[in-house]
Amino acid sequence: MEDGLRELGRLAGVGGAFVCDNAGAVIVSSTPPVLATGTMNTIGREVAQTFAAAERAGWESTRAEFAYDTWRLVAEDLGPTVLFVVCEEDVEMPLVRMTIDVVTAAWRKDSGVRKQLARQRATRSAATATANFDDVSRQLWRLIESVT
Amino acid sequence: MPEGLTGSLTQLPVADILTMLCAGGQSGRLELAEGSEHGEVFLRGGMVVHAITGARSGEAAIGEILRWKSGVFRFQPQVMTTSVTIDKPVERLVADGLREASARDAVLRVIPSGDAVPRLSVEAPDGPVTLHPHEWQILARIDGRATVAELAAAMRCDEFALMEMLVPLAISGLIRLDVPARLATARITAPAAFFQSLTTAVAAAMGPLAEIIIDDCLDSLGATRETLARQAASTLVERIAGEIRDSEQRVRFQQTMLQVLRSQAA
Repeated sequence: MEDGLRELGRLAGVGGAFVCDNAGAVIVSSTPPVLATGTMNTIGREVAQTFAAAERAGWESTRAEFAYDTWRLVAEDLGPTVLFVVCEEDVEMPLVRMTIDVVTAAWRKDSGVRKQLARQRATRSAATATANFDDVSRQLWRLIESVT
Repeated sequence: MPEGLTGSLTQLPVADILTMLCAGGQSGRLELAEGSEHGEVFLRGGMVVHAITGARSGEAAIGEILRWKSGVFRFQPQVMTTSVTIDKPVERLVADGLREASARDAVLRVIPSGDAVPRLSVEAPDGPVTLHPHEWQILARIDGRATVAELAAAMRCDEFALMEMLVPLAISGLIRLDVPARLATARITAPAAFFQSLTTAVAAAMGPLAEIIIDDCLDSLGATRETLARQAASTLVERIAGEIRDSEQRVRFQQTMLQVLRSQAA
C-alpha cells in the first residue's frame, strides 16, 4: 500500500495520503505523515461515520470530497478502511481522482493488500455505535435512523 | 447555518446568499473575493447593516459586490461591526443594487476602464449640441493624451462618476475613446500529440466510436481540439473515463492517460 501512497504523493498539489480503519486507527501513512496522528484518527473515525450515515440515508457513495479554506480532502471508501488524500486548494482534482482509481484498483488485485485489509476488525457498524459519537452526531444519527 | 459556511459565487450568486442569510435571521460577516477584489458585508439579526469593498461602503459597496459572478465567499457567524451604513430591507437592497450593477455594466460597455484615453471627435456631430456646464468642463480638459483616470484626478472627481458623464458624450459622437490594447494572454492549448494518444487510448477501450466520444466530451466542456486549454486536458480525460463502463478497461485507460498527462506536464 505504501507504493500507492507514494504514487499519490508524487502528484503536484498533493501533500500526502493515509489509510484508516473504521475506528480511525491509521493503517498506513505517507512518509513523513501529512497530518498529526491524532488528527488522522479523528478524520478517519468521523468520515467512516459519514459514509455509514450516507449509506443509512440511502445515499450510498464510495468517495467524498471535502473543500476547506486552504486545502481539500478526498476520502475513498475501501470498505474495511478509508483512503484519505490531503491536497492543496488548487490541486488538479481530475488527476487526483483518476490516480485514486488506478491505485485502489491495483490494491484490489494485490493479495498482500487484500490480506492486510481483511485483518481490519473495526466494522462500519461499530463506527456508528452511539458511544463513538459526540452529542451532535448522536442526535443526527438518531434522526437518520428514525426516518429510514 | 454551519460555522464558516463557504462556497463559490459561480454556484450561489451574491443576491441569493444575502437573501438566504437574512431569511435565516443571521448575524455575522460575509467575506467575498473575486480576483484581487475583496469585500465584506455585515449582517445583524437578518438585516444587512454595513458593506465595504475598496473605497466604497454602504449601498455603493453592495452594488459593486452584486456584480461579482465568480470568486468565493465565507460567512462567519457572530463577527460583528459597529458601523451602520445600510438601513434597507434586503429585498430592496438587492433590487436597487442589481439595478445599479446593471447601470455600471452599461457604463463599462462604453468606457471599459480608467485607462481609456478620450479625444475630441474630428467629425462634426449631426445637428446642434447642448452641453451642460460640467460637460463643457470635461471637454475643455480633454487633450487626447490624458486617460480617464488622470482626468478624474485632475478634476478631483470619482473616476466612475467621470465615466458616467463621458458616456453621453461618447454616444453622441462628440468624443472617441482609445482603449489600450491589452496583451493577449497566451492560451496554452493541449498539443496535437495529446489528442493522438487520447484517440489511441479511447479506441483501445471503446472501439471505433473513439472520435465521436472525444468530440462529445469536448463539446460538453465547450471546447474543440484547437481550443482545449492545457489545464483542461485532465478534465477531458476524466470525463471520457466516465463513459467507459468496463471497470478494468477504465482503469487501464486512466493509467495510460495519466502517463501522457505527466509527460505533458514535464
